Amino acid sequence: MTLFLQEIVVGLTTGTIYALIALGYTMVYGIIELINFAHGDIFMIGTFICISIFGLFGITNSSVPPTGFALVGVLVVTLLGAMLLCAALGVVIERVAYRPLRNAPRLAPLISAIGVSLILEDIGKLWKGFTLVPFPQIFPQNTIYIGSVSINSVYILVIVVALLLMVALQWMVTSTRIGRAMRAVAQDREAAALMGVNVNRIIAITFFIGGGLAGAAALIWGLAIGNTNFTLGFTLGLFAFTAAVLGGIGNLVGAMLGGVLIGLVEAMATFIPDSTNPASHGIGLPHGGPAWHEAIIFLVLILILVFRPSGLLGQQTPEKV
Amino acid sequence: MAIANTLVPARNTRALLIKWIIGLLVPLVVFTFIWSGEEIINQSLLSIFGQGNTVDVAILIETALFLVIFYATLIVLAGYLVAADSGRRGMIELWVDIAVFVVLPLFLVMSQGLIIGFAVSAIIWVIYLVVRGRVYKALHIKSPTQNLKVLNAEQLAELKNHAVQGSFWFSVALAIIWLIVDLIFYLTGQLPTTLLIWAVIRTLLLPIAGYLLGQLAGTIALRRTLSAEGNGNGGNAADGSGKRMRRRQLENLSTTRAREEARDLVPNDLPQRSSGATRFYLILLVTFVLFYPVIDQFLFGFGTEGRLASYGDAGYYVILALGLNIVVGFAGLLDLGYVAFFAIGAYAWGIFGSTQLTNVLNLAPIDPHLLSALFWPMIIVAALIAALFGVLLGAPTLRLRGDYLAIVTLGFGEIVPIVFLEMDKYTNGTNGIVGVHSPSFFGINWSVITPTPYYYLILALIALSIFVNIRLRDSRLGRAWIAIREDEIAAASSGVNLVSTKLFAFATGAFFAGIAGAFHAAKLGQVSPDNFSFGDSVIFLAMVVIGGIGSIPGVIVGAILVYALNVFLPAQLDASAADPTSVFYGINNAIVHFIPGFSFGNVRNLIFGALLVVIMIFRPEGLIPSARRRREFHEVEEEGVEVGALDVVPGAPGFEEEVRVE
Repeated sequence: MTLFLQEIVVGLTTGTIYALIALGYTMVYGIIELINFAHGDIFMIGTFICISIFGLFGITNSSVPPTGFALVGVLVVTLLGAMLLCAALGVVIERVAYRPLRNAPRLAPLISAIGVSLILEDIGKLWKGFTLVPFPQIFPQNTIYIGSVSINSVYILVIVVALLLMVALQWMVTSTRIGRAMRAVAQDREAAALMGVNVNRIIAITFFIGGGLAGAAALIWGLAIGNTNFTLGFTLGLFAFTAAVLGGIGNLVGAMLGGVLIGLVEAMATFIPDSTNPASHGIGLPHGGPAWHEAIIFLVLILILVFRPSGLLGQQTPEKV
Repeated sequence: MAIANTLVPARNTRALLIKWIIGLLVPLVVFTFIWSGEEIINQSLLSIFGQGNTVDVAILIETALFLVIFYATLIVLAGYLVAADSGRRGMIELWVDIAVFVVLPLFLVMSQGLIIGFAVSAIIWVIYLVVRGRVYKALHIKSPTQNLKVLNAEQLAELKNHAVQGSFWFSVALAIIWLIVDLIFYLTGQLPTTLLIWAVIRTLLLPIAGYLLGQLAGTIALRRTLSAEGNGNGGNAADGSGKRMRRRQLENLSTTRAREEARDLVPNDLPQRSSGATRFYLILLVTFVLFYPVIDQFLFGFGTEGRLASYGDAGYYVILALGLNIVVGFAGLLDLGYVAFFAIGAYAWGIFGSTQLTNVLNLAPIDPHLLSALFWPMIIVAALIAALFGVLLGAPTLRLRGDYLAIVTLGFGEIVPIVFLEMDKYTNGTNGIVGVHSPSFFGINWSVITPTPYYYLILALIALSIFVNIRLRDSRLGRAWIAIREDEIAAASSGVNLVSTKLFAFATGAFFAGIAGAFHAAKLGQVSPDNFSFGDSVIFLAMVVIGGIGSIPGVIVGAILVYALNVFLPAQLDASAADPTSVFYGINNAIVHFIPGFSFGNVRNLIFGALLVVIMIFRPEGLIPSARRRREFHEVEEEGVEVGALDVVPGAPGFEEEVRVE
């Protein structure tokens, strides 16, 4: 039972990170109906940026981590720096690769997005190499006990930061003018333009926010998981996009829900026994659950899409002629 | 003599003759004398007569056949072009175009080798096209409108005359030049006497061949014209009957158009330009490709085997692009997981064609020779298995729209390689299956080290795939796919069964992927799961999109281009960079100073990604788009086509100029 609850905690943690990245995907899709394949790679570049900012402060893998106010300061500066730089990257990508294709049929910006993703992956490869890059673990890793379940304090940081950001985003989208403008552009771009909304600026702001969320997710991922790689963007991006689709793409709450769900599914997959292990008497999957977790996540996605084609919280808009 | 009369050109045709003969003669001379065309001929002749190096009889026959077809096609082309010339392009224009597009690449490939030669030529072509477009715009040169001429009997005979004259004088010019060059060689002692006799025979034969082939060219040119009906007035009529003739011309014009459109039904795939000369270029290209293994040794010297092996690899990319073209191009179902079907095909032959199957089922191993002979039915079986999985994987996607479909197919594209990786009791997991047998043909076993049979096999498979694709595209099923792509609800209202049509699209696409997979497994000799990843799906999709979605020649060109840039070029550049004598060695070292860990293979994705973005921004319809696509993409930018605005009433004198027939 404790194992189960512990896995749930782990699942929630990674789930909130997926949710943060999924928000970027779903916002961009809601506004310009484009699957932004490059978003996961913005997250990956964000992790490298965090490592570099830590390096600026003199914090490397082997140095003594700061404590107290210094720690808080470093974290805040890194968070803001990573968010700003990733946001800027997102805006630049939109301006260069997506805006010229605003009116092209759907396949063109998709291919362009894939192209940008490839470029970013290679930049990451050239920057930090092929192997896993360790992330300085400067947040104190104390275990807190709730009942018999042990939780790493980093996970609490992750969940707190992610929840704060998600609440802030939801407030912004529902209660501010810019949020209203974003919803208007997502609903009907031309009508919004007629109503006086600067569509180009709103789209740029959307990419800005998405990139910022990815930057924040990059920092907390690094602190919690501890390593990164140039292929991380693609893998996580895929899961995050699956989460966004699962929740109903274009729907913010759906993305958050989908992210948490995907995190939980991934955590639960560790309980599937290994059928090649003689102790399990042939039940389960060969090599056990964790080796299959990608396949299981996609299977969940496919099953849900078969029974609810617009995702869990998506609106079933009937197709009009 | 009647023949002599027809052979002497009239004054107004002399300019035409000069234009085309010089235009075609220059590249032919470059090919023959400078790029070892003559060397091929001389070698073959010498070995026939027992002097010089003895060459294998089969190679001899193939070389001879290639040369005959090559030169004959060129002579017919000369005649056809003279006859069918519409006067749209001037002499200098044509010569500059030919110099840039044919002569320059020949020189570059000769001096710098195949890859660098092609790369530099491609860059020069792009620059030239851009500059030429700008120059034309600056000088306000618009290409004149094409007139569909209505010809009477006298004009038809004149056309045929032109063709005969064109071919005849082309071959005469060729014969004279060749004779002069051979005489110079003979007088400087480089030419054996045998070949001099051949030179004299050739000088006599060529004009005769030119005359006869000219008749052929004239016949072909006539097929593309239309003769007037019942118009006995001749070319120039008085004004009174001018109006009547114009009206009849108009009627004929519209019937011509109707006839052409009836033949094409839907302007699907054919580019909107004349296809007469294009057929000859295609014949030349096909001849070149078919006889390539034989003439490669003459053209490039060593390294044939490596090149043939990589062409074999490029071949299965072409088949994959054709298959994906059906799913994405015809049916409009965005498939991001195509690599799954490729993997299924490869594993199908991999498991069956090696000891894996018998190991798993604990049977006695099958005789390898029998196994190799079973490759031919197994290719079909593997393709059918892939098609079955196509149906299975396509079934859940039937209700999904656009991007959801893409994600689900992406998911399948990830799940299938994971399944192959993890079920290692059946598929041997990460180690993959080794020792996959190669096919055998009438008892002769092929092996991994002889690429030539694979080259011909893949050519045959590609030809078959192209044929099947064209028939599919023009069939009822193909039209149903295009209907679904354009508007599902309208298609369903018109009686198209959405479910079965979509499933057929997936199945057919998977079928071709299965063929390519089985071929790949047989050629490579082993199958392992890390050959199949999402990156490969992206490459396949990029091939289709860069080439032109839905256009069969487009995706073939796209496949070759993407293969060359993504797989072939980085490997070649890396090999070059390791060689201290090449220019890339220095470049590589300079860059490694700034960016450690750089190698051409490493940045392959970077360049590929940048290329994708650039092509999408500047030419989103692809390199050779289908006619429909080009209209879609450039609707706003088209100049001069006013839909629905006719200033001149039909029947009035200026009408044909208004209605531009394209």
